[in-house]
Amino acid sequence: MSAMLALKEWLKTIEIKKKWYNFSRSPLSLIGLAISLSTIIMAVFAPWIAPYPQHAGFFTDFAHAKQPPSWQHWFGTDEFGRDVLSRTIFGFRYSLMMAAVVLSLVVPTGVILGLIAGYYRERWIGKVIMRIADIFIAVPPLVLALSVCSLLTPSAFHAMMAVSLMWWPWYTRLLYNITSSVKEEYFVYAAKVTGASSFHIMFKEIFPNAMGAVLTKVTLDVGWVILLGASLSFVGLGAQPPTPDLGTMVADGAKFLPDYWWISMFPALAISYVILGFNLLGDGIKDAFEG
Amino acid sequence: MRAIWKYIWKRVLYVIPTLVGLSILIFILSRVLPGDPALMAAGPNAPKWVVEQIRHQLRLDKPLWEQYYYWLVDLFHGDLGYSTYTKRSVTADVIEYLPASLQLIFMAALFEIGGALALGIIAGRYAYRLPDNIVRVIAYIGISVPSFVWGLLFQLVFASLIPLFPTHGMYSYGTVPPPRVTGFSLIDALIAGQFDTFVDILWHMVLPAFALSLGAMAQDARIIRAGMVENTEKEHVSLVRAYGIPERVIFSKYILKPSLVPAVTVMGMDIASLLGNAFMVELIFQWPGFSRYGINVMLNKDINGIVAVVLVIGILFAIANIIVDVVVAYLDPRIGRRSQ
Amino acid sequence: MNKKLVAAISVIVVIIIVIGVLAAVQSTQKPQPQKKRLLRIGFAWPTYIDPAVGSDYSSSTAFTNLYDPLIFPGDKGVPKPWVAESWEVSPDGMTWTLHIRKGIKFHSGDELKAEDVAFTIHRLLTIGKGYAYLFTPYIQNVTATDDYTVKVTLKRPYGPFIATLMRVYVLDKNVVMQHIKKPGPYGDYGDYATNWLLTHDAGSGPYQVKEVVLEDHVYMTRFKDYWGPMVPNAADEIQMLALAQPATEKTLLTNKQLEISSQWLPEETIEALAKESYLKVSKFPGGDEFYIMMHTRKPPLDDIHVRKAIAYAIDYKTIVNQIFPGNPIATGPVPSYLPGAAHNLPTYHRDLAKAKEELEKSKYWPDIKEHPEKYTIDYHWIAEVPAEEKVAILVAQDLQEIGLKVNVVKVPWLRVVEEMANITTSPHMVSVFVAAHYPEAGSLLESRYDSKSADTWEQNEWLLNKTLDHMIEDALSTVNTTERFKKYAQIELAIMKLCPSIFLFDHMIKVVHQDYVKLPADEGHYTGVMGYDFDGRAIEVLSTT
Repeated sequence: MSAMLALKEWLKTIEIKKKWYNFSRSPLSLIGLAISLSTIIMAVFAPWIAPYPQHAGFFTDFAHAKQPPSWQHWFGTDEFGRDVLSRTIFGFRYSLMMAAVVLSLVVPTGVILGLIAGYYRERWIGKVIMRIADIFIAVPPLVLALSVCSLLTPSAFHAMMAVSLMWWPWYTRLLYNITSSVKEEYFVYAAKVTGASSFHIMFKEIFPNAMGAVLTKVTLDVGWVILLGASLSFVGLGAQPPTPDLGTMVADGAKFLPDYWWISMFPALAISYVILGFNLLGDGIKDAFEG
Repeated sequence: MRAIWKYIWKRVLYVIPTLVGLSILIFILSRVLPGDPALMAAGPNAPKWVVEQIRHQLRLDKPLWEQYYYWLVDLFHGDLGYSTYTKRSVTADVIEYLPASLQLIFMAALFEIGGALALGIIAGRYAYRLPDNIVRVIAYIGISVPSFVWGLLFQLVFASLIPLFPTHGMYSYGTVPPPRVTGFSLIDALIAGQFDTFVDILWHMVLPAFALSLGAMAQDARIIRAGMVENTEKEHVSLVRAYGIPERVIFSKYILKPSLVPAVTVMGMDIASLLGNAFMVELIFQWPGFSRYGINVMLNKDINGIVAVVLVIGILFAIANIIVDVVVAYLDPRIGRRSQ
Repeated sequence: MNKKLVAAISVIVVIIIVIGVLAAVQSTQKPQPQKKRLLRIGFAWPTYIDPAVGSDYSSSTAFTNLYDPLIFPGDKGVPKPWVAESWEVSPDGMTWTLHIRKGIKFHSGDELKAEDVAFTIHRLLTIGKGYAYLFTPYIQNVTATDDYTVKVTLKRPYGPFIATLMRVYVLDKNVVMQHIKKPGPYGDYGDYATNWLLTHDAGSGPYQVKEVVLEDHVYMTRFKDYWGPMVPNAADEIQMLALAQPATEKTLLTNKQLEISSQWLPEETIEALAKESYLKVSKFPGGDEFYIMMHTRKPPLDDIHVRKAIAYAIDYKTIVNQIFPGNPIATGPVPSYLPGAAHNLPTYHRDLAKAKEELEKSKYWPDIKEHPEKYTIDYHWIAEVPAEEKVAILVAQDLQEIGLKVNVVKVPWLRVVEEMANITTSPHMVSVFVAAHYPEAGSLLESRYDSKSADTWEQNEWLLNKTLDHMIEDALSTVNTTERFKKYAQIELAIMKLCPSIFLFDHMIKVVHQDYVKLPADEGHYTGVMGYDFDGRAIEVLSTT
């Protein structure tokens, strides 16, 4: 609740118009915005946009399998006779859903823990939180996510859980650093002197200072989480077929390289497309806030 | 110099509890999550008593803390436990497969540093002009295209269209692997005097190392470029230029060197991406390394193997990060002083 | 600083140039390696070359070439005397006497004796892995009564005993004893040399291990003193290569760097390769059948009408024409060529009207019609066999047509094994290839439908049918072959009537190979016994590399 209030106040203070002006000056940022929006639209309206929506479910048409790209099937058909374009469009759904679920779990957790750890930096609780966070980032996130997924039954849900488990420490660290540096500023002292509760100080005084950094990180992380999810599926430890998941489609299609390259290459390009979009968008937001 | 050693020592002391925590985390996860590793290890047709025997062998019949305790004791004897996948000690597997991966990652790191320097310097030198824009596009593509997509793309291009580089394994067929001395096949080939084998291995490393390095390379190129642009505009640069110091010196000492600091600082992240992406790249190129072994133990739910893979990568990552910090301290004395 | 850098760079450049020059010199001076007949075969790892540990396709192939079995499978799997030259059985069927062939030499140079055979069986039973499961339920005791006679006492009479001996690969006792490492899990025998035998052999086969690199390759060279018959142009060296990607195999085959492909190439790759003039596609029965096992204790599949409806709804023709081309539709619970397979059994075929009629007869129908999602059928397919996905989705599509909802799940093989061990975790349906352990119908009947195997991966049906158990036991203890085969036929008929499984097709293994390699399968010879198809004794290599 207080986070929502903070958000409102923050929006007032950041001079949204100026930020947008900064943002829109860079063509790359605008391209990023366009790509990101296009993937979101494709994901949300997939059943209406995809030319053959039924191909995302149980569908086989072996007579039309492995056809190269044509006017009927822009991205060709796969070994089941399913339209690769339609499945790719549905694939955006799973990629974005992965990012949405992971980030909505990870950001609040990471932020709250980071605020606490930074605020109580000298006390044991702050130290314990940061040492635990260290453990989770002591290995590249993909390695630990792969191990956890392999110990569970591979599924999209477990992949999301595994990635979330790996990701929260980054937000904790970010908030920890910001809190530590802001803590000594006079407005925090002022709040303390007026007898504000620690809770109030953390969420109302300190947190707004971190909003820009968090927002930037969230946008950039969309790309990273999608990449991580796609990597898990590629190895076979993520979403399972016949789910039209992009990483799974790439892995399954890779068997047919080089003869039927379109089965794997178009979903592979689609993954790159989403990641590119959110990277550009994230950099744009970052520049807008810093510039 | 002594300050540096002290600094390293401090970092090592700090990282040890983290690694212990990591080992506890992955150890517990591997034992607690559902699924019966003994049943899986025994194979589909094994009778119950064989399953029980393996359970006993893996100490799965003991309480968790006791399992961990004995695992630690074994670890101090250099034994990482029995691998149900390779049917031998995990230690033997690590010794066998790790060098090949390190060799690949090392080459990828060389590509990364070389490529990032070249691209970054070009872009920085010609900032806001055509070369800069080209590099920027390359960098964004490099960051956005996952390494496994690069891998597959290379497979597609080099396996059939332009058969210039091999796309599979470490040796050409018919090449006799050098006798194992260090485990690093490149070094072993040199020791054995098999220079054509040496070249053959290098040849096989080009594509996987390149696929592995591209993402990090793009990231670093951008950072170097940004640093160079920033430093070029700094006042002291115009000042030294006014003193008539040669442009070459200005460039290397006042523009390039300080721009490298932020690039080296993010090397830690780059190493993370190399170590992680090696899993996909080794799988695609059938590179007989530790990451491919990692995928196999994971798919076969070999719990001792999984614990070892996570822990070894954790240790490598920690070592790499310490090295990076030392390099940063060397390049930027301010940080070194701060750490004291 | 700069000078140092320049110096360092020049040193590196010099080193690179020197290495380059040396490499160039080296490659021009390199002596031409001796030409030899090389047979390189693609495989999926893991390959465990210890006969007491491995039991899968690649391991069994390694055993065939490194070791000699007691009995060899002849054409169509008919038992052929091998290390055991002749045998007798006592009238009560409890004691078998095997006479060992004289003059077989191990790779160590020692002669193979009865003592080695007894040792091999003891070791197999003690370790309990590999093919031990074939023998543990039956063998009571094994003793060598003299140098060339082995006496095997059984726990109960067992008709197919001789056929199972194709899975006893005789080890050299002395060599094994020399490489035992203590302590180990097997008491006085330490680790029973399991560590050493992972990368070495102790056999008498036509090939001996040259090099094993785990997860990569097994190289075997010809054993000069081999006692047995070999084809004239047998390979000098066999290399089993772990290959995981069809694209790689394709490159290797077109570059003539691989003689025989692996056994699970996707149909798409086989089609593409078949166009090359110098490549041939060989097809031979794998000894296995592809089943969809239905859980007969889980609603709604506990109703025979629902099972029959499914059997009538499935489009068998599309499966054998489009997904697994060249595989004959199954004619019963065991592959049609297997000794003891019954003929003219009533079978199921696609007939939607009949399928709907059966479904409407079911007690679940009114409810299924109202709430199909309440009766969602979980269909598990095995991740390691990607082509199974096509069957799974086709079946889901077919069942949708008659109003059944299906949930298709991809599951790794080992996880399937784990699920199927328990009646509650076993899925509704699972598609699995199951092979006969020895070439006789009885093998599959027992492993697929006997109550003893209900908790194994070979049975998801959970039939637990006492009458059937009794019939199977009776048949297996019949020593007379003709009698036994008659009993098998009756069991097969009874199973067809219960409709516990969908019998999809008799699996044919397809490999792509170079035209200079002559496989027995090319002339219509096959054993149908896993691992004996790539027997170096019988494959000719007509080109040297």
